Parts: sequence; C-alpha cells; structure tokens
Amino acid sequence: MDILSFISPLFVLLTVGGTLVGIIFGAIPGMTATMAVAVCLPVTYSLGLDNGLALLLGLYVGGISGGLVPAILLGIPGTPSSITTTLDGYPMAKAGHGEKALRIGIFASLVGGLVSLLILDLFAPTLADFAIKFSYVEKFLIILFALSVMAALSSDLLLGIFSGFLGIFISLIGTYDVTKGGNGEWRLIPPGTEYWLEQGFSLLPVLIGLFGLAAILDEAETGMKAGMSQKDVKIGQHEKFSLSIFKGQWINLIRSSCIGTFVGILPGVGGSAASILSYSNAKTFSKNPEKFGKGEPAGVMASEAGNNGLTGGALVPLLSLGIPGDSTTALLIGAFTLQGVQVGPLFIGNNPVTWDAMIFAMLIANLAMFVMMYYAIRYFAMVVTIPKYILFPVILMMCVIGAYTINYGIMFDVWTLLIFGIFGWVMTKIRLEVAPFIIGFILGPSAEVYFVKTLESFGDLTIFFTKSWIAVFLWVLIALSVGGSAYLQTKKK
Amino acid sequence: MTFTRRTLLAAASATAILAQPFAASAADLPKNIRMVIGSTSTGGDTYQAASIVADALSDKLGVNIKVDAVGAVNGLKALERDKRGTTIMLFHDFAYLAELYGGKGFVNPFEEYTVGATIANNPGNAYLVGANSPYQSMEDILTAAANGERVRVAIQPGGVSEIGFSAMKNAAKVRAPGSEENIVPVNTGSQSDKNQAMWDGLADVINGSIQANEQFTQLDGDDQKAMRFVWITASPETLAEAPEAGMGKLTRDDMLDYASPKTSVTLDGTQDFTFDKEFFLIFNKDMDPAMIDTIDQALAEIYEEGEIQKKETAAFFTPNFRPSAEAREHLEKKREIYKKVISDISG
Repeated sequence: MDILSFISPLFVLLTVGGTLVGIIFGAIPGMTATMAVAVCLPVTYSLGLDNGLALLLGLYVGGISGGLVPAILLGIPGTPSSITTTLDGYPMAKAGHGEKALRIGIFASLVGGLVSLLILDLFAPTLADFAIKFSYVEKFLIILFALSVMAALSSDLLLGIFSGFLGIFISLIGTYDVTKGGNGEWRLIPPGTEYWLEQGFSLLPVLIGLFGLAAILDEAETGMKAGMSQKDVKIGQHEKFSLSIFKGQWINLIRSSCIGTFVGILPGVGGSAASILSYSNAKTFSKNPEKFGKGEPAGVMASEAGNNGLTGGALVPLLSLGIPGDSTTALLIGAFTLQGVQVGPLFIGNNPVTWDAMIFAMLIANLAMFVMMYYAIRYFAMVVTIPKYILFPVILMMCVIGAYTINYGIMFDVWTLLIFGIFGWVMTKIRLEVAPFIIGFILGPSAEVYFVKTLESFGDLTIFFTKSWIAVFLWVLIALSVGGSAYLQTKKK
Repeated sequence: MTFTRRTLLAAASATAILAQPFAASAADLPKNIRMVIGSTSTGGDTYQAASIVADALSDKLGVNIKVDAVGAVNGLKALERDKRGTTIMLFHDFAYLAELYGGKGFVNPFEEYTVGATIANNPGNAYLVGANSPYQSMEDILTAAANGERVRVAIQPGGVSEIGFSAMKNAAKVRAPGSEENIVPVNTGSQSDKNQAMWDGLADVINGSIQANEQFTQLDGDDQKAMRFVWITASPETLAEAPEAGMGKLTRDDMLDYASPKTSVTLDGTQDFTFDKEFFLIFNKDMDPAMIDTIDQALAEIYEEGEIQKKETAAFFTPNFRPSAEAREHLEKKREIYKKVISDISG
C-alpha cells in the first residue's frame, strides 16, 4: 500500500473538517449525517474521488457520533440512531453526570468505529457474500428481534407493548411505497387528509416532536426551573473518569460494535436497528438489567458502540456489491457516480488506491472525532447550565428548522413535529410509553415489507421457522430477549 | 496602479454592457430557482442529470438554480403550488408511466403541467438473468413462456422498471396469445431487492441497469452473484450515441447485441419495442410561457456550444436536447405507444 499516493495535507484536512461539520450536524436535533453528506456532495465533484470521499466519510462518522450530545444533555436524540443513548444518557445528565456520560459515549463511539473499520478492512468481500444469504425471512426476524426490545424498555409490559404497536400502526399510514416493494396503494389515511398524509409521517419530525417538544411542554406545565449550575453538572470539577468504568464492559463494547457492523452489512435493515439491537443485547446479558433506562452507563456504551459500528458495516455492501447499507452510504454512491467510478463486486480489486484511501479516511475520522469531542466535552456539557427560558426557545427553533429541512421544505413536517410534540406530552398523561412507541414507529415499515414479501414469496408462515439455521438462531435470540423482559417484569412485581 | 472614481465607473459600465445579453435573456426568470427532481436519491441518475443541466443553466442565465431531491409526489406538489417559476422540475418517463399504471396521486403531466425540453437519455435500462440460468436470450425467455414455463421477473412496479416487463408480456402475447400469463412479476423495491430476489431464487429475470449490474456480469459463473444481460431496452439510435468503450467490459458493440434489432422484443409483430429513459423538464401549468421560452433558448445555446454533451457523455448519458414543443410532441407519442402496450396486456 502506497499511502503517499493519496495521503496529503488536504486529504487529512478534509477528513478532519468533514468530521467537525458532521459532529455539528449530528448535534443539532433534526439534522443528520445523511443531510450533512447531501449538502456537501456537490462539492466533491471538484475535489477528485479520494479527497471527496475523505470529506464525505468525515461527515458520516462525525454525523453519527454528534447525535449523542443532545441525546445525553437534552434528552433529544440528535439522530434516529441515538435514541437508545437518550434512555440512559439523559438520566445520567439529570443526575449531574452529563460529562461522564459524554465521555463514555465518545469512547464507546471510538471503539465501535474502529472495530467496524477493522472488520471492513479484513473481511469486506467475505461478509458481503454472507449478507446475501439473508433473505426477506431473516431480515424480518432481525427486525422482530429489534422490536422485542419494546418489551425490555417498558415500565409496564402491557402498556409498553401497546405503545409499540401503536407506533407500528401510525408508521404504516400513507402509501405502501413501491420503492420498498409495496403496491403503491394508500392505507389508513383518514378521509380528507390524503394530500398531507399520502407520504405518511416523516421519522425525524416525529422523533424530535416526541422527545424535544413534548419535554418542553412538560416543563411548561410544571413550571420551568432555571438550568443546572456548573456545580450541579460537575463541570470543571474533574469528576473522576478512568477506563476502569469499562471494567467488565469490554464484552458489551465489542459485542455492540459487532452487532452495529453486522446490521450495517445488511441492506435495508436500517441504521436505527443497530443501536436498538445492541442496547437490547446489553440489557439481556447484563447482571443488572433493572438499571437500564435509569442511567446505566452500559446502556450508553452499547448504544454508541452499536451506532458507530454501523459506519464500517454499511460500507461493506456498498463497496462489495454496489448496494448501500444505509441512507447515508446511499449518498456516497453519488460521489462515485460524479467521478465516473463504478461501484460493484469488482470495486475493491479494481480501485485499490481508493479502497485504501477510504480505510485511512475512516481511521482519521474516528480518531479526529474522538479527540475533538473528548476535549470539547466541558463546553458541550455547559449547555445544560444555560437557563431554560433561553435554551428551550433555541431548541424549539432548531427543531422547527430541522423538521422543515429534512425533506427539503415540506411544511407538513413542521405540523408533524407539533402534532407529535403534543401527542408525546399527552402520552405521559395516559401512561403510554414513548420509547417503545418510537421503536415501533421506526421499525414498523420494514417489519411490514419483509413480512408481506416473505408471504408473497414463500406463501407459508412455517418458512419463518424452517428457512435456515440463521432463522432458528434468530428465534432463540428473540425468545431470550422476550423471556428476559418477562422475567424482569415478574421479579419487579 | 491607482483606481480613480472615473476608472471604477467605466469598469462598472463596461461590465453592465457586457452582461446585458444574459440579463436580458434572464429578465423574466426569478433570481433563485429550485429544481426539484422526481427522486429522493442524490446518488442516482436523475440527480446527476439535473445537476449537469442546472449548472449549465445557472451559468448561462446568471440565476441561482438549486437541485432538491424531493421525490415524485412531493416534487409534483411543489410544482403545482408555484406558478412564479421559482420551482421547476426535472424528471423522466416515470412522470407519465405512473399515471398509465394507475399510481395513486399521479395525473397525466401533459394535461396538468407544462412538459418542457428533453435534455438527455440514460441508455442503461436492462434485464438480466443469473449466470447459470437456462435462458441465454430474450428469445429463450419468450419461447419458454410459449411452452407453458413460468418466468418470474423482478421489477419495481409502476414505472420505468415495469414498462420493459409489460413489453415482455406484450411480445409473448403477440407471439403466442395466452403465453403472456406465464410471464409473472415479482414486485420488489430497490435494485438491491431485485438482485437479492435473483440470489434467493425468487426471480428468473431481474430489471437492472448497465451502471448498477455490469460488474456482476464479469464475475465467475460459479459465483452466486454472477449475472448475464439478456436485454437492453434502449433504441439502437440512442445506444449509437453512447461512448464506444461502453462501461466496464461491456462495449458499445456488446450493448447493441442486447438491444433491438439483434435482440428482438416485438411490439406488434412488425417492429420492436424499445424504451429510452428520457429526462425532461416540467413546469407549472400557469407559469409564464415567456419564462419557458427563455429556458428553451438558453438550453439551445448551451447545447450549441457543445460542452454539456461532453459532461453528459462522461456520466453515461446520451445528450438529447429537444425544445419544449418538439419534446412534448415526442413524449406524447411515446406515451401513446406505452399506453397501448399496457392496455393490450391488461386485456
């Protein structure tokens, strides 16, 4: 490998700069890594392929990582893949351990990114061949496994599962999308609302409405308190942080990184499933599963290692099959197309220099992400000391801008944000649960498509049990996850 | 060198005079134009075609044109709301095929909007079989259907992906009435899903493209992922405009082997069915026709200069500029042919 053939000051600068911009995008609720890559894609035309990819990969890694900041400090997932980070990160921040939660999340992100990069570098073509053994059946079971986390996240099993199913139901409103294998028919749209609901509700406005706006409404109802003081959040007090916090958690970190990578390898399963599955596994195999959702550091580790593990994994099918693993890598194809480079099963062999450049860009991006975020933590953490009467209007404005821009200027997305903000606030009043609801909402459409496609293709429900050893293995994991949750609920009672 | 007030005034006047032709030609257009496209992907051919033409128009007209990948439904809605010319659309044949296939929410664009100039073709629309498939050609596929064999074709329903499938059914019906029932769709979504359908043994033939699938045709026959082209739907005239080197190991001559007339999928027993995926502009029905004329004129000059053709060819498009009136006539004729094919196979 001749590193000098592609490494240059510009290459490094673009990677680091891209990572920084990506972190900023990820940290603003409603802005995502996908959006950061889309905005910068046209710029890559003049940069050449290797430098262009350096910028985009920096944006990708930064965008995925930045989502942990608002998830931990504000309780608003910056990106869909940081939902599970919110579940334990925000309680930690509320207890005054925001800085510690950030350090844990950032370190776990680094581990996730590096493990997935290693897997990408060593096994890309082999894993791509393995990935194509996953048909509709196995993909449905993976989604079902991810959905089983709904039970694990429920305070009340019945209400939690009901909330999850409600999320699935609402996610199915709109057109049964032909681009996902549907028939283009409208479903579940109330008469008179076809114009707005034809495309259903967009994920991000729903997400930031439920987590962001609903929290603001809740505070408004109870009477807004001032922000925490620096003393409360232990900023600048050198709250002891050492790697010893990861003692006994290395298996969790590596397992979550591998799960994230694995989910990335499977096209169509979706990035959010990576952190959800990692979190679910961490809880299932934890000695203290009852602490999850209440500020358990292992939950933050699993979620962040999982979603950064996705970054390398999603590049496997892209570079080995020409098939993107998630929505962001789908945009990377644009960078190749703009430069007239074909991406497919021969890409790595035909373009060794570009392949090496991508690996190095990912490595630099992960290290840059770690350094930039780790040393900026105390400044990030100060967000929670801003008085809420200043902070909340700013968050609200960012949420509205994020919702409006997510689909390039659709006003209904802003209404969606407001509707789900109010709905999220009402949910807490009637004891419905937000976390299972949003997981159902995210995974519902994929579950539907893979379930229907399985029946269309095989015509028989028994295929879910008989298709392959992978299917059997997935059923075992589902049983463990559901059984574990049921056991915990019984123990709690 | 010192700049006096007089020098600066003279320079400003000279700039104003030099800029006059562009300013005059763009006088009717808004300064900021949003070009929406009928795809949500910024990595696909529609975005690429739109970017090329938007850049060229921006330079020529001195206006700012931004491409937004909003998708078909949202794009058409945005266009419907804006008659000021600040929103225009670039799309391809899906714009009218969706309505012909009864897609929910889609209307006949020739009636509800103003269809504008065509700018390029993507000659890559293709059909493939697995490397070890018993079918060597379209002739084998149509013969198998005539012999009562069920041939499963993976498509994304309702548009460009389905029209070639409809043509296969139509050809089967022309050759051996009733045999069209043996050509059955496997409705999938993205290209990844179509490929997977073949690897899972759920489809015998898949819709794909030269750009996305060519590398799979270079794989060893033993590889589960290996594929072979059986049909490229583009017309021979369009393929003749493609780069001679083609793409990957598929040269232009190879492409011509998989296209009409060497690979024949009959339309009516006398002529072959062909389909060129064409990109064209669409405007709000009530947009000032003078603005459309300005865009037409600018495009005519851009294509006359010849630089855009080089960019389009490099990106594997074949340049295909037709001014609005000519484009409308051409596309409406095309729509009528496909309407008949779809209606014939629907019985």
